[in-house]
Amino acid sequence: MTDKRTIRVDTLARVEGEGALDLHIQDGTVVQAQLRIFEPPRLFEALLRGRAYTEAPDITARICGICPIAYQMGAVHAMEYALGLKVDGPLRALRRLAYCGEWIESHALHVVMLHAPDFLGYPDAIQMARDHGPMLNRALALKKAGNEIIRVLGGREVHPVNIKLGGFYRVPSRSELKPLAAALDSALEHAIELLSWASTFPFPDFERDYEFVALRHPGEYPFNEGRIVSSAGVDLPVCDYESVFEERHAAHSTALRSVIKGRGGYLVGPLARYALNFDRLPEHIRSLARDAGLKPICRNPFKSLLVRAVELVYACDEALRLISCYEMPDRPAVEGLPRGAVGYGCTEAPRGICYHRYEIDADGTILGARIVPPTSQNQLSIEADLRQVASRSLHLPESELRALCEQTIRNYDPCISCSAHFLKLTVHRERVSHDSPC
Amino acid sequence: MTAPVERISLVVIGVGNPDRADDGIGPLVAARLGMLPGARIMSCNSDGFTLIEEWSGADIVVLIDAATTVSAPGRIHRIDLSSDELPCELGIASTHAFGIAEAVALARALDRLPRRLVIYAVEGVCFDYGADMTPEVAAAVDEVAGLVAAEAAGCLPNSMRTDAWRTDP
Repeated sequence: MTDKRTIRVDTLARVEGEGALDLHIQDGTVVQAQLRIFEPPRLFEALLRGRAYTEAPDITARICGICPIAYQMGAVHAMEYALGLKVDGPLRALRRLAYCGEWIESHALHVVMLHAPDFLGYPDAIQMARDHGPMLNRALALKKAGNEIIRVLGGREVHPVNIKLGGFYRVPSRSELKPLAAALDSALEHAIELLSWASTFPFPDFERDYEFVALRHPGEYPFNEGRIVSSAGVDLPVCDYESVFEERHAAHSTALRSVIKGRGGYLVGPLARYALNFDRLPEHIRSLARDAGLKPICRNPFKSLLVRAVELVYACDEALRLISCYEMPDRPAVEGLPRGAVGYGCTEAPRGICYHRYEIDADGTILGARIVPPTSQNQLSIEADLRQVASRSLHLPESELRALCEQTIRNYDPCISCSAHFLKLTVHRERVSHDSPC
Repeated sequence: MTAPVERISLVVIGVGNPDRADDGIGPLVAARLGMLPGARIMSCNSDGFTLIEEWSGADIVVLIDAATTVSAPGRIHRIDLSSDELPCELGIASTHAFGIAEAVALARALDRLPRRLVIYAVEGVCFDYGADMTPEVAAAVDEVAGLVAAEAAGCLPNSMRTDAWRTDP
């Protein structure tokens, strides 16, 4: 007799994008977990072809309303690579500041509004607000602080328009950054309180031996620059990304799925970044992480919430440091001329590394583009987590198992809008007896 | 812990995405209003949660947003949340997961609703990227701006202090 069950959850809430999950269980084992992404492909790579090299940052910013900076930064770094441009000094610092803004707004939204309700037993943040109002207020203030950074540097909070190859269209004066610092002083306190609060959550006891992949920079916790490294020994310049990583198509998903050639799935995002760069965090942030119960390496995907909270503290702290050191540059951007070349860029979006490659011709027309967002890279890991989490939780009542599966997916803060670009979770449970005709 | 530090008498927020046809009615009305004495006028194309911070400290808040078509494109609804519920059938259009309805519910739970919150919802029909605004919706911009200005001046006729009054756009 074979016991075959299919569990169905039709709609996954609190994720960005549309998709579904099918979970097939046979004889007490999860035999298949398919993350089905059915949002139509958005074809950004195709629509970039034939456009000017200067247009890539503004076009790619439209891939995501939550993490447009990641796409803009990937695009400008890749194009600057192609042109042989180097951006440093205050312009580079402003780019890091923009990235801090994006991490603050994205992590605050996910940690408190989207993920915390799972751990505290509420259906959503609105229900949670009645009992945890002060934390919700802290999250709202953090989100506003992040938005303000993006507004000041990007011209507006959503799909910023002030970022260009070589720097910015306009750079802020020191006095324009001053109000940001005042808000960030409070934001830093909010973030530290959120981390302390999150450290009390009941985290499921679950670990998996991931291959972590992240950027690593000689002196910084990574945002914009670094080599691509992994916990299993990958150590590459960004231009060699495709020699080790490849995208594959699966019939059940409109998003391509990335693997390490010859090995399979891997993990990008907060857990990977933290494990591979713990020593790059300032000591006072490491100390806060330890106080929250985190070791230098964390393999529990549910505790990604805690790591995001650590990164939230770091982003506020780093933003304050960058603002305090800022001197307005002489010019808002360095200029460069196009040439026939291939450019590569990879930056740390809130959800993990985001890779860009562009081929341009001598007059700067884009001939080809490849963009690999973090959620595409994490699809196999999401499915593997689900198989294992579900396998050991089959004794749970249907509704609890379904909730746990959704929570497992939300560990990744999946931005399905970016990967193809929205998620419905569909888990199925069926019981079939081969001994019986019915 | 709550954020308010500065009292502002009136905040007017045009909500929506100017690049999505009729969804742009909110920002367009905000732009048309320009300046109003004693009021802060702004546009918001971010998620609904952002609204709570934006209206922090305000006594009266007026939101202008697009709604799905119930009867006719361009029809204007005035909803005063101190006396009315947000009607579900209007489906106040949001291009984000967290719209005005969620912002209002969260603000209520956090005791951060302004003393008075009025929503002007204009029925739209087209929310396509890059498309032009529907003529009937575009034709409502001046009227909504006039109504908001009257609201700001505290001289909105009592006859308009009800739900939808404009049935023939």
